[in-house]
Amino acid sequence: MKPFKRLTAVVGAMAMALPLALVACSSKAEEKADPADLATLTVMIPLLAADAAAPAVDGEVHKAVEAFTGKKLQATWVPNSNYGDRMNVTLASDNLPEVMVVQGKLPAFVQSAEAGAFWNLTGKLDAYPNLKAENKQIELNSSINGQVYGIYRRRDPMRAAVIVRKDWLTKLGLSMPQTVDDLYRIAKAFTENDPDGNGKKDTYGLTIPKWPGVYATASPYDVIETWFGAPNGWGERNGKLVPGFDTPEFLEANRFVKKMLTEGLINPDFATLDSAKWDQQFFTGKGGIIVDVSSRASVLTRLFKEKDAATYTNFVDLTGNLTGPDGKKRSYPTIGYNGFLAISKQSVPTEAELKDVLTTLDKLSSKQGQILLNNGFEGKNFKVQEGYAVGQNATDPAMKTITNDVMSYAQLGTASNGYLAYVSLPAGQFEKEQYEKRVKFHKADEASAVHNPAQAIVSKTQVAKGAQLDQIIADARVKFLAGQLDEAGLKAEIQRWYSQGGQDIVNEMNQQYAKVKK
Amino acid sequence: MAGKARLSTRMVRYRWLFVLLLPGLAYFAIFKYAPMYGLTIAFQDYLPFLGFSGSPWVGFKHFADLFSSPDFPRVLSNTLILALLSMVFVFPAPIVVALLLNEIRLSVLKRAIQSAIYIPYFLSWTIVAALTYLLFALDTGPITQLMNNIFNQRFDFLADPDWFRPLVIAQTLWKEVGWGTIIYLAALAGVDPNLYEAARIDGANRWKQMWHVTLPGIRSTIIVVAILSAGNLLDTGFERIYLLTNSLNRSVAEVFDTYVYFLGITQGSYSYSTAVGLFKAVVGIVLIYSVNWLARRFGHSGLY
Repeated sequence: MKPFKRLTAVVGAMAMALPLALVACSSKAEEKADPADLATLTVMIPLLAADAAAPAVDGEVHKAVEAFTGKKLQATWVPNSNYGDRMNVTLASDNLPEVMVVQGKLPAFVQSAEAGAFWNLTGKLDAYPNLKAENKQIELNSSINGQVYGIYRRRDPMRAAVIVRKDWLTKLGLSMPQTVDDLYRIAKAFTENDPDGNGKKDTYGLTIPKWPGVYATASPYDVIETWFGAPNGWGERNGKLVPGFDTPEFLEANRFVKKMLTEGLINPDFATLDSAKWDQQFFTGKGGIIVDVSSRASVLTRLFKEKDAATYTNFVDLTGNLTGPDGKKRSYPTIGYNGFLAISKQSVPTEAELKDVLTTLDKLSSKQGQILLNNGFEGKNFKVQEGYAVGQNATDPAMKTITNDVMSYAQLGTASNGYLAYVSLPAGQFEKEQYEKRVKFHKADEASAVHNPAQAIVSKTQVAKGAQLDQIIADARVKFLAGQLDEAGLKAEIQRWYSQGGQDIVNEMNQQYAKVKK
Repeated sequence: MAGKARLSTRMVRYRWLFVLLLPGLAYFAIFKYAPMYGLTIAFQDYLPFLGFSGSPWVGFKHFADLFSSPDFPRVLSNTLILALLSMVFVFPAPIVVALLLNEIRLSVLKRAIQSAIYIPYFLSWTIVAALTYLLFALDTGPITQLMNNIFNQRFDFLADPDWFRPLVIAQTLWKEVGWGTIIYLAALAGVDPNLYEAARIDGANRWKQMWHVTLPGIRSTIIVVAILSAGNLLDTGFERIYLLTNSLNRSVAEVFDTYVYFLGITQGSYSYSTAVGLFKAVVGIVLIYSVNWLARRFGHSGLY
């Protein structure tokens, strides 16, 4: 009996101590890090590779970044998949990192920035040679109503492309599309003229997957609408901002897509096809055309190369944006940035400290800094060949670690002053030509880019209800294409958008637009 | 006063038992009750940066918004229809399967069937959804092809709004019926064999035995399960719905669980989505109480 009694006493004591321990923990977490600590830079960064470990603190890259900036770096790596949730939690805590990667104008960020959680950097960045924006339009795009709350992270301004099965074109004696009419003709030929030569009518032209985003999220529909002259998200008509879907061009573009669908030129399961199978449809020879970002062509080329390295150059061809039915070319650009680095006012309370943080970020954005963050160490894990970076010593585990770490640290780079590091050399001659072709037509398309004039504008109702409202449009568009709605039904859904809060958004957007334009 | 005095003497006498109670109490206090403080954001315009204490109070604004929202009738009816369907189809299914299993004499066969139908329960909804997409894909899914051939028409199970609810119910049946039989099989094992013997002597056939002996024997278990599941009636589940939703069937697919996710996570309307979740929880409590009341009304013991 006695030992049992002792045991219960121990368990009881443990049970009583438990809440105390928890209390002790939570009070410790509330202790603030010393904000005046200029020697340390704290950052929060998304970790992109799901299978890779976060870079080690004693890793070579980490040490090199610390040596280069002269700061002790304290990085919190958060898996990309729950970065948004983690950011919200961090915003709610009283322990914000000095620098935070923000992945876009998320509602929680906009609300916090406007409530004063982050430094307003408008006009401050031009004093730093490497933070001065290469493209003022993109800096404005990344702002909240003209107020810059972060250093934008540059991405290619143009990515849209049409990717076509080259072997099918050759077999049917067709050439790459230049116009939307060409697109229709090729899709029709791909559907009806047996491009794979198996004697069966088992192919179609364009593949469109289930699109997870809402309206104006670079879906194939959005790109085609732009080609037809519809605004990219928002457009200026008679001096006023109007939503892109309330224009005759939007309707015309979707009539075009619907016609292709009813004639069987697009996969009939476009509303449900898993977007992970997008490449498979092309690779296995079901659908011969993809409208998406140009980098998908490299992925497809790699698939064909894995299957047969001797003939892989025969399957993938690509071109840029297509000319609309009126003979005018309009290109669908990206928003030009991929989130930004925001600086917390709570952790960086004074102007002097802000200056110090900006100086550090400026250093990281210099040519030398960008090469360190994007490529690594020249002569060690890569060498430069014809202006491209070529990985070397890849089998050495230490080099592998460097290359992996560099991929993670690249997330910290902004390159808002332009991309100054090296691009890695494509795997073969064909891939290199393909890459150079991409760069060329993207550059040419930039001249005809249709920008969203409202990109910088954040309306209150848009933040509160935008996702919900834009879903109405995205659903209505798919329903119209699938035949669940006729044109009157589509227009009724657009009216529903207006009446459920869209009208408020239009009014607020126009008010802000008038202010920002001044 | 006398009662109180007795309690304190009891507390002294059984002090170690009360100490043993503490971890359990601490668990509920820390993980169940303390987080309820967060529900206050349903009555605030909550901003993460301003926190619980700094966000402005707005009273019942979010509830007023919810009830006047054009989405509300649709989301409510979708949720109720799915709840009703699962009450009608999913709730009785384990009872039927358990009764069927109970009639199998060959215990090897019985065990094999049991193991086989438990397995789906351990698959995640993501896998179930992936299987569904594979089997029901337009034109290429095996089940779609079979149905197309039998009925000589083109089925679009995944996109057709009319097929959404049958698919969800079928998925749930496949995944959860086997697991649900466990509790009933346990109850069936507890039915007194003498009763069967007596019934057989009275000339009852197997059907009559089931009706007059087996079912009354497990009635209290059925009622307890019914009351407990009434509380979860509006929990239509998030993953299974979300993974099957697309632009074409959203009008029937949006339920409270997906609506809360969409508003709270995608759009960052924390306060509004909390208000929606709180409303759902209140309905759940009302349902538990009313089913319990009904059970007692009909002369059964109920849950409490």
